[in-house]
Formats: sequence, structure tokens, C-alpha cells
Amino acid sequence: MNIHTDMKSDAIVKLDGVVKKFGEFTAVERADFEIGRGEFLAIMGSSGCGKTTTLRMLAGLEDPTEGDIWLDGERVNGKATWDRDTPMVWQSLALFPFLTVQENVEFSLRMRGISKSERTERARKWLDKMQILEFADRNISQLSGGQRQRVALARALVTEPKILLLDEPLSALDAHLKVRMQAVLSNLQKDLGITFVYVTHSMSEAFAMADRVVIMSRGRIEQIGTPQEIYHAPRNRFVAEFLGSANIFSGRLAGTSGDDWLIDTDHGRFAVSALHAPAKSPGDAVTFIVSAENMRISPEGSGVPGIRARVVGEEFVGATAIVFLETESGEELKVQKSHGELASVDLHPGSTLILHWESETCHVLPGE
Amino acid sequence: MTGNRNFIIDVLLKLHIAACVIFIFAPILGSFVFSLNSDRFPSLPLGQFSTEWYRLIWEDPFVWTGFYNTVIVGFVVAVIATLLGFGGAYTDFRYNFFGKNIYLALALLPPTIPVVIMGLAMLAFLSRVNLSGSTISVIIAHGVMCSPFAMAIIRLRLSQMDPDLEAAAWNLGGNEWATLRHVIIPFTKPAILAALFITMAVSFDEFAVAWFVSGLNETLPVKILGFLQGQVSPRINAIGSLAFVSSITLIILAQILLRNSSKEKS
Amino acid sequence: MTIRRPRLFPLVLSLPLLLWQLAFFLFPLVFLVAISFWTVRNFQMTPDLDFGNWERILTRNTFWDAYARTAMLATASAVLTSLIAFPAAYAISFKLSDRVKQWLIFVLIIPFFTSYLVRIYALQVFLSDAGIINALLGMLGIGPFLMLNTTFGTLVGMVTLCLPLVILLQIFSLNFVNRDLIEAAHNLRCGRLRTVFLVIVPSARVGLVIAALFAFILSFGDFVSPLYLGGGNPPTLSIMITDITKSGQQWPRAAVVALMMIGTLLTVAFAAITFAYKERGK
Repeated sequence: MNIHTDMKSDAIVKLDGVVKKFGEFTAVERADFEIGRGEFLAIMGSSGCGKTTTLRMLAGLEDPTEGDIWLDGERVNGKATWDRDTPMVWQSLALFPFLTVQENVEFSLRMRGISKSERTERARKWLDKMQILEFADRNISQLSGGQRQRVALARALVTEPKILLLDEPLSALDAHLKVRMQAVLSNLQKDLGITFVYVTHSMSEAFAMADRVVIMSRGRIEQIGTPQEIYHAPRNRFVAEFLGSANIFSGRLAGTSGDDWLIDTDHGRFAVSALHAPAKSPGDAVTFIVSAENMRISPEGSGVPGIRARVVGEEFVGATAIVFLETESGEELKVQKSHGELASVDLHPGSTLILHWESETCHVLPGE
Repeated sequence: MTGNRNFIIDVLLKLHIAACVIFIFAPILGSFVFSLNSDRFPSLPLGQFSTEWYRLIWEDPFVWTGFYNTVIVGFVVAVIATLLGFGGAYTDFRYNFFGKNIYLALALLPPTIPVVIMGLAMLAFLSRVNLSGSTISVIIAHGVMCSPFAMAIIRLRLSQMDPDLEAAAWNLGGNEWATLRHVIIPFTKPAILAALFITMAVSFDEFAVAWFVSGLNETLPVKILGFLQGQVSPRINAIGSLAFVSSITLIILAQILLRNSSKEKS
Repeated sequence: MTIRRPRLFPLVLSLPLLLWQLAFFLFPLVFLVAISFWTVRNFQMTPDLDFGNWERILTRNTFWDAYARTAMLATASAVLTSLIAFPAAYAISFKLSDRVKQWLIFVLIIPFFTSYLVRIYALQVFLSDAGIINALLGMLGIGPFLMLNTTFGTLVGMVTLCLPLVILLQIFSLNFVNRDLIEAAHNLRCGRLRTVFLVIVPSARVGLVIAALFAFILSFGDFVSPLYLGGGNPPTLSIMITDITKSGQQWPRAAVVALMMIGTLLTVAFAAITFAYKERGK
């Protein structure tokens, strides 16, 4: 027997050096990670990053070009999707338009040759659980977006699988319904205690629901971690840019000052907290970030040391505003502050401000 | 301003559409009117109303044989062409493979080859394999000409299908055969029925190939050709009108099926 | 799907059509090439590699006369049909509401399912010397005109055959013309008529050329109109084929004529499609 001994006892999925190529195009460059039992894992990235291909490989809709996929202790390469129990909730929902709600939910039971009476009973149980029992005999076209979502979930869960795959299932919903369905999904996952693998391009969805997040770009895994880890300590420039709220500075390590590193950049020398930083020696390139909320602003001429930048524009985000600025060398920076804090400075496009920050709010990107 | 001129242009354009439609339908309506007219060679003013020509074809045993052959051929051809066309449409929908363009060209080109040439080629070939002159030879020839129509209709319906639907069925535990039966066929059912009707109608009207390959086993259109070559007989109008009514019934049925299915989709 | 070993499922679905068309479509056409080199002795075809049939057909003036006549008729029909169809297709695509448009498209599909022969027979009644049209003209005090058994009669038949298809194909290509382009042209002071020629026709060129190509193909192969409305004399290539086949077992020669027709159609189709797509890369 080929028992994979490295596999952690609490892992239900293991991707081992998985590569997927479509002809010349590499969709997934190398995926190596495990998914725990009962874990809510989000795979996040922009379109074409390989997240959906990874999910489809778990479902058995694609076969890896290289590497192995282990599912519940079994190597499943080459095993057809209809022989696995890895139901998926599709972005388009893919409900069968020629079947009623209940027939849709019964579908996978019918494919497994389960008797009519048991099918009905189990389907109705799940319809009840998803609070759509009253629509059992309706046509799919008669349901609202949220109701269809529930049908898709019931249809996928009716076989009571150990793992559920979700491919951007909420992307078609409006903002309000999206938040409600996020809560439904979160609670459902906790109640059932099964593994959810959730693919999305939306950071807010991933961070709101997932225990751990995998960030992918161009087929590569950029970072895996809890939402907190990723938000506060992005591993590299890509993740920092993807999160979108950080200002990124590059320079060279000049020396140390206590616990801080001193870094020479185009804008001068800055002290940076080196708490998470990897080992580097003087002269090495270093990239660090300062998040927009941690940026401080002072009027020009206030004498505070920092970076001079010109205001380009302003965007309102609820109780705060993001001010977009540009340095003399054309670098783009942003600052997020409450309206009260911004009241004291001149924000007209073209006016110049001084930007500065505390050294402990900096984070050195370890992956750069 | 140009409003007045635009109005005149619009009216002229609409009149042109009407003229085109009249031009296209004059012969069709004409043959209807002539079939109910007592004159052997109708002109203006029209002769008296008469059902004489219908009585004559009713009593003509050859017309009945022709009609019987047409229906048999039409029915068998419809089933064969729809089966072949379904396979071709699904192949085009689902697979990419080396030489797919050649596959599609072979599948779809027959209607663009002049029927005279198709007829000649098939006659030469089928007589070589001792199939000419039989009903089977007509069915084979019509199968070639009709399957592209069936394929096009079913392919169109498949392109309205959410491409995830099939994968979703596999993912829910149905293998390819079960998915074909429980998802693809139910989804394309309206198009399958429409293809059956339309290929039957095409077969009804495909005279030239039948004329070439059939010899004695005449179908109705071949019978018509026989009339045309012989002496002038308004019976052709009566036969043509009956054939037209049956074809158009099939087309309307097909149209209704396709309309309803595209509504159901949205 | 990426399972690599050959599986039954795709083969069961794709092969029947392929085999059917290979056996009963491609093979007969190839067979036609073969028999064009066969010889006929005592009303029996014998397999051979004889260029006599080709030589005999291609050196005859009657063949080339028929060839020129057929090509001319098909060209005239394609041009005439396109010109008649375009204003109608333009108006249907741009001026009518969606409901009327759909209804008209359905009406234009109907003729495909009527017997072409029956329509031609009815046209004989319309066009003959004492027929309906001459009777109508007579009431106005003009005519009678000779229309049946003339080139005019042949062209009327061909246009009847091609017009619905050409209008439909033109409508489909015009439907793809970006409506913003037309408003942009109007906005830039391009008049209605100039917009048609400078914006709409170039935008829809591929479809318009393909519609004309179909009219050419249909007319080129048609033998019903030239025979029953044109009088069959001088013959077209299609009439030649039927004549040769009916008179004895001269199928090899008929095959030569048929292959010349296919060759011509392929050349014309290739030229038309090249022309349609030319300059699109610019």
C-alpha cells in the first residue's frame, strides 16, 4: 500500500508539487500545501492566477500535469470527477434549468442509484436546512438570486461530503445579499464541520470567512496564512500591492540603530522596525511598506522631516478619506485618515504636503 | 430640415421590402390559386373555382406511391440526420482536436455543392455498390444533405447552454453517459425535435438528388419533376400546395419548439 | 477533460457523422474524379486511366460556350440579387422594430421549405406569352413581351431562388454593424446615403460578399431555371450534365463537366473569401 506518511492526520487535502499546463501555458506553476479537516480555506487572486484551475484539479475536472493530489489519504490523480465526492458550487451556479428545485437537489443521489423514496427524503431535509423547502416544486427560473444560491448549496451538500469546493459563488449577488450569504456560508461550515475550499478574487470575502488564505498570482502561490498574518505581514511586493492599502518603498540596508534598520531610499534614510525581517547584511536591497492608515501628514513648511508630495486627488471611503499623492520623482503614495484629521491640511490638488511615519509601523517584506 | 425627406425614404424602403416579399411569394401563392382554378393554363381573368386537380391526384395511384415513399424517406432521413447531427454538434461543442476544421467542413459542406453534382456523384457511386434505384439510396443521399441542418440547429441550442452545466453533472456523480442522458439531451430536446421536423421538411423538397438516385422508387418531388418534363399539368400545383402545407406545418412546429425553449432559458 | 487513453464516449458521438459523410459525401466526389478517367465501351463503364474524356470535353466549343453562359448567368444573378436585396436588408436591419424584424426573418425562411420546382412551374404561368404578367400589362395597353424561354426568364427564376437567402445573410451581417459607428458618422456630418456607402457597406463587407457568393453558388449549379424558364437552349453546365447522363452511359464525360464546375466554385469561393477579408488587418 502506498500510504503517504508525511500527511498530517488532520489534513484532508494535500497538494504535492502540483503543476498544471495547458499546452505552452502554465496555469499553476507549483502548488504545495495542505488543507486541514474542517478548515475554511480561501484561494484568492485576480483572474487567470490559477485559483480556479487549482480548485478544478481538486474536483477532478482537470488532471495535474505534474505532482500528486491526495484526498483523504488517497492519491486521486486521474480519478474522474464522478468517482470522487468533491461537490462544487459554481460561479454560474450551473443549476439544471429543465429540473425543478427538488430534482436539482436529488441529482447526485440519482446518479448514485439511490431509491426514489430515500432521494426525496434526503433532498427535502437539505431544502429544509437551507430554508427553501417551500420552493421544492418550483422552476429554477422562478427563484431569486439568493434562493438559487441556497439550491446550489443544497445540491452540493446532499451527499454529505467531507469537502465542499466553491468557485466565486457570491460574485453575481449585490453587496447586501453578499454579506448575508457570507454569514450563511460561515455558519454552515461551522455547523457541518467540513472543509470548505473557497475561490474568490475578493479580499473582503476571503478575509471575512476564511481560516487561512492562499494568495496566488500567475500560477504561483505568493503567500499562505491567516487573514491577520497576511494583512499585517505581507510576504512580498505582490501581496502588498494586491492588498492595496500600503505604500511600498525600496532601498538598501545602511546599518542598524537599536532594533531598527536604517534604510537608504531615493527619499532619504529611514529607520524601519526589523521585527519580521529576514537576515540581511548592509548593502542588501530591502523593501518595506507603510500602510495608508499609518501615514502621517504635516503641512509644507512645518519643518517635520519626511517625503514631500503633491496632492493628486481624494476619495471618500465612509468615515475616512484616501488622499492620493505624488512625489517629485513620480512615485504614487496614499494616506487614509478620518475627515477630522484631514481638516487641518490643504488638500487642493497641487498643494504640497510632508508625509512621515513611526518606524514601528513599518513592515519589511521578507520575500523581497 | 431633412425630416420630410427621411420620411419619404423610409416609406420607399418599406415599399421595397413589400415588393421583395411579393416577388418571393407570388409563385408560392400563385400555385395555390392555380391549384383551385379550372383552367389548364391559368391567366387573367381567372377561370372558375375547381377542386378538379385535387380529385385527379387523389385518384392517381402513382401520386399515392410517391407520397408514401416521400413520407417513409422523410421519416427515416429525419431520424438518421438528427442522430448524426446531434453527434456532430456535441463533438463540435465539447472537443478540440487536430483536424477539427476538416471534420466540420465534411459535416457542413454538402448543402453548398450543387445538387446536380451531388446527384451525379451519388448515382455513380451508389450504382457501383448496387444501391441505386432503391429507397435506401434516397435515404443515404438525403442523410448527407440533411444532417448539416440538424447539426446546425442542435449546435445553436448547445451554445445557449451554460458550459458549467455539464461539468456540474459530472461533479455530482454522473459519468459521461449519464450526463448525456440526464443533462445534455433534456437541455437540447426542443432543438432535437425541431431538427427532426426541419430535416423531414428538407427531405420532402429535395427532389434532384432523389431523382438521380432513385430510379423507379419515386418520391413526390421526383413525381413533380416527371410532370414538368412531360406535358403541362396543373396537378403539379395541387401536389405542390399539399407538400407546402405539410412542410410549413413541420416548420411552424419546429419554430414554436425553438421559441419556447429560448424563452425558458431566460 | 485530460484523460488520455482513447475512450468510447467521444468516438460514439463523433464517428457516425464522420463515417457517413466520408462514405457518402467525400467518397462519391472522389469517385467522380476516378470515373472521369474511365472509358465507356458498349454502354459499359470500364475502369481506366484515359484522358480522352477530359480532352473531348475541354476541346469542345459547346462546353466552353455553356461554361461562359453559366458563369455569366451566375454572376448576373449574384449581382442582381445583391442589389435588390440590400435596400430591403438595410431597411429590415435598421428601420424596423425587433418584433417586425423577427417576423420578417421567419417569413423569409418559409421559401426554403417550398418546392423550388413548384415555384418555377408557377413562374411559367406568370411569365408566358399569354400569362398573368402579360395580361396585366395588356390592361395597361403595353406588351405582350416575350419573357419565357429567355435569359430574362432564367434570371427571374434564379433571383427567386437566391433572394430570400441573400436578404437573410445580409440582415445578419448588418445586425453586427456597430450602431455607434452610424451615429458617429451622422454626428460628423456624414449624410444618410454617404453613411450607407462609407460606413455600413465597408463594416458589413464580409457578410455582403458571402451572401453574393452563396447566390453565385446556387445559380451556378441551378438547372431548373435555365431549363424551364430559359428554355434550356443554349444549355448551361447543369443542363449539360443531365443531358449527358440521360443519353447513354456517358457518365465519365458528365463527371468531367461536374469536376470543372466544382473547380470553378472552389476558385470563386476562395477568391471571394480572400477579397472579403482583405485589408481587415490594416
